[in-house]
Amino acid sequence: MFQQIVVAAIVVLALAASVWKLMPARGRLRALLALDAWAARHPQFAGWRDRSLKPRIVRAAGAGCAGCAANVGIKPPQPPR
Amino acid sequence: MDAVVSQAPLRIALIGVPNCGKTALFNRLTGSRQKVANYPGVTVERREGERVAADGRPQRVLDLPGTYSLTPTTLDEAITRDVLLGRVANAPAPELVVCVVDAVHLPIGLRLALDVKRLGLPMVLALNRMDVAVRRGVHIDIPRLSAELGVPVLPTIAVKRGGADALIEAIESSRWSGLRSVSEPRWLEPTAEDAEQTQSDLRGVLAAVGYGAPQENLWFARMDALLLHPVAGLVVLGMVLFIMFQAVFSWAEAPMALIDGGMAQFGAWTAAHLPEGPLSSLLVNGVIGGAGAVLVFLPQILILFLFILALEDSGYLPRAAYLLDRMMGGVGLSGRAFIPLLSSFACAIPGIMAARTIPSWRDRLTTIMIAPLMTCSARLPVYALLISALIPARGVGPFNLQGLVLFVLYAAGILAALIVAWVMKHFAGKRQYSPLMLELPDYQWPHAGNLLLGLWERVKIFLSRVGGIILALMIVLWFLSSYPAPPLGATGPPIQYSFAGKLGALLEYIFAPIGFNWQISIALVPGLAAREVAVSALGTVYAMSAGGDDVAGRLQPVIASTWSLATGCSLLAWYVFAPQCLSTLAVVKRETNSWRYPIIMAAYLFALAYMASFFTYRAIAGWG
Repeated sequence: MFQQIVVAAIVVLALAASVWKLMPARGRLRALLALDAWAARHPQFAGWRDRSLKPRIVRAAGAGCAGCAANVGIKPPQPPR
Repeated sequence: MDAVVSQAPLRIALIGVPNCGKTALFNRLTGSRQKVANYPGVTVERREGERVAADGRPQRVLDLPGTYSLTPTTLDEAITRDVLLGRVANAPAPELVVCVVDAVHLPIGLRLALDVKRLGLPMVLALNRMDVAVRRGVHIDIPRLSAELGVPVLPTIAVKRGGADALIEAIESSRWSGLRSVSEPRWLEPTAEDAEQTQSDLRGVLAAVGYGAPQENLWFARMDALLLHPVAGLVVLGMVLFIMFQAVFSWAEAPMALIDGGMAQFGAWTAAHLPEGPLSSLLVNGVIGGAGAVLVFLPQILILFLFILALEDSGYLPRAAYLLDRMMGGVGLSGRAFIPLLSSFACAIPGIMAARTIPSWRDRLTTIMIAPLMTCSARLPVYALLISALIPARGVGPFNLQGLVLFVLYAAGILAALIVAWVMKHFAGKRQYSPLMLELPDYQWPHAGNLLLGLWERVKIFLSRVGGIILALMIVLWFLSSYPAPPLGATGPPIQYSFAGKLGALLEYIFAPIGFNWQISIALVPGLAAREVAVSALGTVYAMSAGGDDVAGRLQPVIASTWSLATGCSLLAWYVFAPQCLSTLAVVKRETNSWRYPIIMAAYLFALAYMASFFTYRAIAGWG
């Protein structure tokens, strides 16, 4: 029974990690913003989110131009109209 | 006029023409380890790093893409101009510009420096590669250059420890810190008269500092005569690539056997020390059998990258681009596409992003669409596994047969890319002529530090994938392969009754015509996350199919004994074309700002993959 509980916990964590990793960076940023109310009650999480997690996601998103807020003014060349 | 408080980080921007050593200097200033290479176009986005000055004040250093002027022709050049002008959201204009100029080719960099000076931003000029300039007999009167420009000029050797000390001292000096006044940079699109004025100023400064063109290096000239020769150059290029693929198989044998044996022993040890049950099965079949199966290929990936990094550092790659320009032009590709396509051999994503350096939209789109056909390093584990399992390790003359097959697979990807580009040429309308303007860097011996750093980066990327997305997906796949449990009286292996087994049976209807069994069909699904995940998935699925623990880390003999040559070759053909990477499609969407192109890309690549596998399978099965 103990083994089954441990395995179930590992599988749920792995599923959550897979979904998170496969989610587009923009979706991950939205998910973080959705946790604002919760983060307000947990300053440690908020600190980790703003110091470490968010910049990493923004970097991933900004790896392409126009993908993040910092590059909002830059548009990739568009097909001729 | 804005007042700036001294506690805010000093914003420093590094600017210069492509391949003048900006990123090496950025690494020197910030202690970062950004990729440095001896060819233009390595940086296509701005990078940021932090440093703390001796007085404790933080400084934020920006490494900008190389540009020849502030009138951009490509997206990466536009990024540089917009950052300097403070036009980018949340990024005010820098307070100090470090203009990096290659001392050997002073006129090219100085032209940009004159442009930047007109912006009115505080500026320091870093005269980089001074050691090479001195060796090549280039004379520059540095105090006079400083006086002519009205800015501090400091000699640097960015690739050497301590080579940027004078620059660091200058940017830490009190003149930039404390309460400063910063005016908005002013910039107007230059007219023809402005361009003439800049040229005239440039000539005046060069005459004043006594600049003379560098002495020609006899060895460089001889090497160029050979490597840029339209026939001999192509022969040398073919030989270099051929040796590279031979080495991938020949040199990696011993370390791969070591890792393989280690994984098998670890699996056996884990199984022996854990009580039988789901936890033991998860660790042995899911984690060690799955994620461990792909770890074996690390030595091959490192050998491939050792060659690529050495070629990058030596200055050979831009010459290969020059050599292939004519051939690429024939199929409708710009010569500028060479570097993005070459980057795609590591991963299609940086390759697609590097296509920003191509000014024409049509050429850029063609390059983006064919980038996934270049064989990325994630395909290498799949190729290596199937080749090792199905192709005998014997020699063909002086060559290794397995290396030969790998070379053919890489060549097939390149050939397919050229054909697709040629087809696109006939659909995408008239091509704007965009000549290849490429500065050929000096030859140099690859720096051991750069090579080690590059290899270390690859190890980190590979291990973080194995320990991240691959491990997570393998645990999920293990669950899908283990549950629900088989019904009472079931005779087949338990996986056949699981969710994954049922999905595999369903997919087999689609893939049976191309020779794929249900195990391969299952492996293709998680393989969409990243190509090498398919190897891990096969490891897990076969471990679960056997129902024993001895399969962990021993996938190759299982494939050799259960797959036909036709099935193996069909899967190889599938992986030459299939867009088995969701991240690539996501980046195409982002770079083209449209869903249309990733959808077209996925459709054409899947169609090509299915057709190639179908014909390969039928031909080999029919042949006997």
